[in-house]
This record gives sequence, structure tokens and C-alpha cells, in this order.
Amino acid sequence: MASNRDDFGIAIRYALLQKGAKHKFSLFFLICISILIFFLDSFSSNIMSNVRSILNDSIYRVSAVSSSPFNFLENLGKDTKNIFFVLKENKYLKAELRELKKRDFQTKYLTNENKRLKEVLDSKNDSAVSYVLTKVLLDKKSPFLKSIILNKGRRSGIVKGMPVISKNYLIGKVVEANYLSSRVLLLNDLNSRIPVTFGDRAVQSILTGIGRDKPRLEYLPENFEALDGETVFTSGKDGILTPGLPIGLTEKINNKLDVKLFADPNQLSFVKVILIDKDTESNF
Amino acid sequence: MAIFPKKFITYIIGLGPVIFLYFLSITETNTEFSNYFEIVSFNLQLIIVYYWTLKAPSMLGSGNIFFAGVVNDVIMGFPLGTSSLTYLVTAVVATYIRNVTVNTSLITDWFTFLIAIFFANLTYLILISNFTDIIVTYLDLFYNSFFTFLFYPIFWVLFSSYKMLLKGAS
Repeated sequence: MASNRDDFGIAIRYALLQKGAKHKFSLFFLICISILIFFLDSFSSNIMSNVRSILNDSIYRVSAVSSSPFNFLENLGKDTKNIFFVLKENKYLKAELRELKKRDFQTKYLTNENKRLKEVLDSKNDSAVSYVLTKVLLDKKSPFLKSIILNKGRRSGIVKGMPVISKNYLIGKVVEANYLSSRVLLLNDLNSRIPVTFGDRAVQSILTGIGRDKPRLEYLPENFEALDGETVFTSGKDGILTPGLPIGLTEKINNKLDVKLFADPNQLSFVKVILIDKDTESNF
Repeated sequence: MAIFPKKFITYIIGLGPVIFLYFLSITETNTEFSNYFEIVSFNLQLIIVYYWTLKAPSMLGSGNIFFAGVVNDVIMGFPLGTSSLTYLVTAVVATYIRNVTVNTSLITDWFTFLIAIFFANLTYLILISNFTDIIVTYLDLFYNSFFTFLFYPIFWVLFSSYKMLLKGAS
């Protein structure tokens, strides 16, 4: 019994401390280094966050360059496939355009009415928002984290917490801002929590990512009767996100209320980051 | 005159596992198929580290395993060192198995890989859930581990053929 234990000890010690031609460092040494950098990065100091920022910027660029031939081939395949559906899509778009033109008149009327009512109420007009248009540098799928990397960072005025939109629909918020790049946590990520409002009764809820394509509405009022097809907007209750950003439509599945996002999180190429003034930044 | 190209080709083929490991860490290549099957995802890096540390440790240096982990952490947004530790734990198990066994087959490799997955994902889970704010569901981690284990024989066959090719070239 004691001999078995000794054998085990020897084998483990050998596995940890062994070095060779290609193994210039023992596994034990590298494990210690990994633990050290993990704790330095987790309980981030100023120096470490600067190191991390430089590392992120450079590795993201290398990654974007090395992924580009594969992305090109993937896009080529998609574009070729799309050519076959051009005629059908054209008919559909013409019909949609007619419908939208009709709605445009209605929207103009409502906008003017809204403006007049705000003047009556002496309310501040907060519709002037500035954006930064960015390109999606990397979109690596992971079973655990749903995020994308953008090609602009602190240099362009982006800071942690800013909302990110695609075709005017909210897709997530900035969780990491480096000097030249930034990371956006998508709405369907497990770690995403967004205060939202929806329906005629302006129900307040929290949109929670569940790691699947459709995030879920949680903390709904008691005995709430969920309905399909209601538009979900940001409520701005957190004091960070701009209120009224459209997100998606409600979908009732097995007594749970999921949200089908307007912007497909798997098809993002260009997105806009909404720039928020410095006073709001302090809340992030 | 002809010796140099052959040597060069052998050298390039010998770098295959390292290149593949860095390629998976740095590019957008996914081993997640949630668009097609919601639960299917697997960790190909773990399979590479385990197979090559077990079968031909001279082809995959421990420094490369460490750096591939760091690169993976940067791309995925994990705290630095998380993936490195996970890969190194896998390498420790593989080295241990190599030291205590003489003849191994696909079946023995496959079942000992289960021990490596267990310790690697346990390390990952301890680090992520205790020292970061990142939320990970146990079910997703279980599915990932299960499919990594399930797909191991396919890659075992592929990598064994590659090893034979390398033997032939040298």
C-alpha cells in the first residue's frame, strides 16, 4: 500500500518537474506562473490593467488578420448563396418599402406632435445622441461567453458601460475598453442584465441572457399574463442605457417570456456605440 | 541538394500540432455549433494538448501550451491564466498517464482522457466561480465536457494518421 503511494508520488513529481528538449520549463513552474498572472489580472492593479490593455489590442489585431482569409471564404459562400435569392428578395423589399412609406407619414406626424407636447411640458429634448461607428473585429463563439470585439476603443471616446446598437436595435454594452479596441457583452450572454419595458401597460422587467439566442424576461409582476409579439425597449432605469432603444419581440415559450432579438447576434459586422457624457460614466 | 527540402518539410509537419493549437486559440475558428444544435460544443484545444503530450511530448512544448492558453484568454475575455492552467492540468494528467503506462490503445487513452477533462474543468470552474464575476452554467460545462470526451476517438484517429505521416516523412 505504502509502495503504491510512493509510486504515485514519484510519477506525479516526475510529471510536474520533468524538462526536456522542447520542455524548457517544467509544468510546475508554468502552473505557478499561470496562478500568479490569474490573481494579478483578477484583482487588477493599475499596472496589470495597462499590460492587459496593450496585450488585448495587439492580440485582437493579430487575430483579425489571421482570421481574415477564413472570413473572406465564409462571406464568399454566403454572397454566392444570396445571389440566387435576389429576385425574391427584391419583390419582398418593394412591398416592404411601400408599407414603410405609409408609416413614415404617420411617424412624421407623431414626431411633430411629440415635439409640441414636450414644448408644452417644458421637457428637455434628449434625442440628440452621438455615435461612433465601429467594425466588428472578432466574433468568436464560445459556449460560455457571448461577446464581440470592436475595432475602436478609448481613443475614440468609448468607455465601459456604453450601449451598442446595430441598425438602431440594442445588441449589448461595452464591458472592456482598451485604447484601440473594446469588447461588447451581447444581450444573450449569461452575464447580461438589462432593465427593460414592454407592452401597452409599460411593464418593467429585467432582460436576462441565458446563453441561448433568445434572452429571457425576468422579475415580471405577479400573475402577469404574458403576450406574444410585444415590442421590448430599454427602460433606462439603470441610469446608464438610453431609454427607448428597441430590443426585440416577446415570445411565450412554456410559460416563460423570451425575447426574439431584432438584431441577430450572429450576424454583426458594423455596429454603433452610443457615446454618453462624462457625468453618466461615473455610474458604470 | 534534396536533403534540405525533405528536412524542411519534416520540420514543418513536426510543427503541425503547435500551429494547430495556436490557430484554434487565435482565430475565429469555432468548435461551438449552437446555431445548428443548441448544446453541441467541444474543447478541441484540450484534445490536442492531451493527445500530443501523451503520444509525442517533444512536438508540443509546455511553453507553447502556456502561451496558447494566454492567447485564448485574451480572445475569449477570461482573466489571464485561466485557459493556461486548464491546459497545463491536462498536460500534467497526460504526462502522469504516460509515465505509469507502457502500452496504450484508443480505449485506454479515451478513458484516461476522462480524468484529464475532469481535472481541467474542475480547475476552470473553481477559478471562474470563486474569483471572477463571470457566470457559467454547470449544464453548459457538462455538455462541453461530454462532447469533448465523445469526439476524442475521431481526433485520436486523425492525429495518429498525422503521426504516421510524420514518421514516414522523417
